[in-house]
Amino acid sequence: MLTPLFERIGTHVLRIFDQAGDFAVISGRAIAAVPRRPFDPQNLAKQFLAVGVNSIPVVLLTSLAVSMVFAVQLAYGFKQFQAEGLAAQVNGLAIVRELAPVITGLMMAGRVGSAMAAELGTMQVTEQIDALECLATDPVHYLFVPRLLASALMLPLLTAFSIWIGYWGGYFLLVGVEGQSATIYASDFYKLLATRDLGIALTKGFVFGVIIALVGCWRGYRTRGGAEGVGNAPTSSVVTSSLWILISDFFLTKLLLV
Amino acid sequence: MNDTAPVIDVVNLSKAFGPKVVLSNVNLQVREGESLVVLGGSGTGKTVLLRNIMGLLEPDSGHVAIEGKIVHQLDREGLFEVRKAIGMCFQMAALFDSMTVFENVAFALRRHTGMTEAEIVDRVDECLSMVGMKGTQALKPAELSGGMKRRVGFARAIALKPRILLFDEPTTGLDPVMTDVIGRIILDLKHELGVTSITITHDLKSAFEIADRIALIFRGECIACEPPDAFKQNPNPVVQQFLRGDADGPFLQDPPPPKRALARVVHNPLQLL
Repeated sequence: MLTPLFERIGTHVLRIFDQAGDFAVISGRAIAAVPRRPFDPQNLAKQFLAVGVNSIPVVLLTSLAVSMVFAVQLAYGFKQFQAEGLAAQVNGLAIVRELAPVITGLMMAGRVGSAMAAELGTMQVTEQIDALECLATDPVHYLFVPRLLASALMLPLLTAFSIWIGYWGGYFLLVGVEGQSATIYASDFYKLLATRDLGIALTKGFVFGVIIALVGCWRGYRTRGGAEGVGNAPTSSVVTSSLWILISDFFLTKLLLV
Repeated sequence: MNDTAPVIDVVNLSKAFGPKVVLSNVNLQVREGESLVVLGGSGTGKTVLLRNIMGLLEPDSGHVAIEGKIVHQLDREGLFEVRKAIGMCFQMAALFDSMTVFENVAFALRRHTGMTEAEIVDRVDECLSMVGMKGTQALKPAELSGGMKRRVGFARAIALKPRILLFDEPTTGLDPVMTDVIGRIILDLKHELGVTSITITHDLKSAFEIADRIALIFRGECIACEPPDAFKQNPNPVVQQFLRGDADGPFLQDPPPPKRALARVVHNPLQLL
């Protein structure tokens, strides 16, 4: 009676190890393929556009919204202790260290990672990836490398952009609405921060970029089963990469802040 | 038939997906310049055979040798070198849909040759004329009909001047006229390029037109492989039923029950799900 239960548990455990191993092998191949020829500047430029430039509106709106709502809560919270002056400092700390990289990472997992999974998934089920193989082209090199490079390099830039937008979101709320002094806000925003914190934020952006591209491409590359498979690939890539972004954020914060 | 070594040598090839045996002990030899047509019902493993030849799948036992090189034993670089000598035409063309017709045909030329852009333009033009698709360079695959897509697929496959061409059901789903057009293009390519080819098809008319030899795959086994005339005379009831296109006969009968195994070895746990 218990055998089917153990069988099912065993199958799931095996599947998790199987997938983790497969992801590790493919990721290793993708990273090893980065310096390999031929380089494909056209394809790379296309990915930089898709991952970087086209993501600016999304990052702008989410960073603005998050920084403003955070400033509202801080202003309200610190008012309880007559410490409104601390709002700008804590706002700066939260945006640079956590909110900008994590919000940018999560939004990009939804926007870019899912698009990669859907595109590669469609290519897989329509035999285009097999066609690449038959034209003596390594799909991992041709498809993964430009996406990985674009994502790893663009995410830190988008994180920096998100910090800048976050600064002005907080400014609008605390200076414009709450009536704090503009000069004090400008110096307070950076008061609790060191240059190192910007480095940490950009490092997080880089790591999240690598996670998004590798998970998105891997999910797409391993798509099976026609339209249903193509439908599942983006969903699963967003869930997986969001999870790893949040988990790795904790460890990066712990490791880099020490 | 000459006695040179076969260009494509399929030896005792077996492939199963989980419990489903798709190919069992298939042996096929294709000699230089020969055109082999592989017939068989739907889902009898014809495509799996081509994918094994291309090295897209690894055989469970047996092997495929292309020009003397055993495909599944090659490293990636070696495999790519072998593939450069093979043009593969997919069933649904498998054109890169983000690229134009020109970029599709030019793809391998740009990556694997040192040709200048002008030479590539000429070569693409030449390949497209060979399949009757001249002047379609700027179109996207989505703007082409099924037959046109396959022809562009042919052009892409011949761009690198391969010595071997593989056609995976090139006429399935096309109207009779387009089926004949595709059949003629395959014949033209055979005569103009002198390539060795394997064509997988259900279509008997084009099969008899293009084949030097015809093989029939039935339940994963190659039950006949002979020149068209001998094939027509083959007394095997399965062959005769396939030729007649009759619903009654051994072709659709259930296979004999498989021998029960005590335990099944699971290579990939995903197959259990």
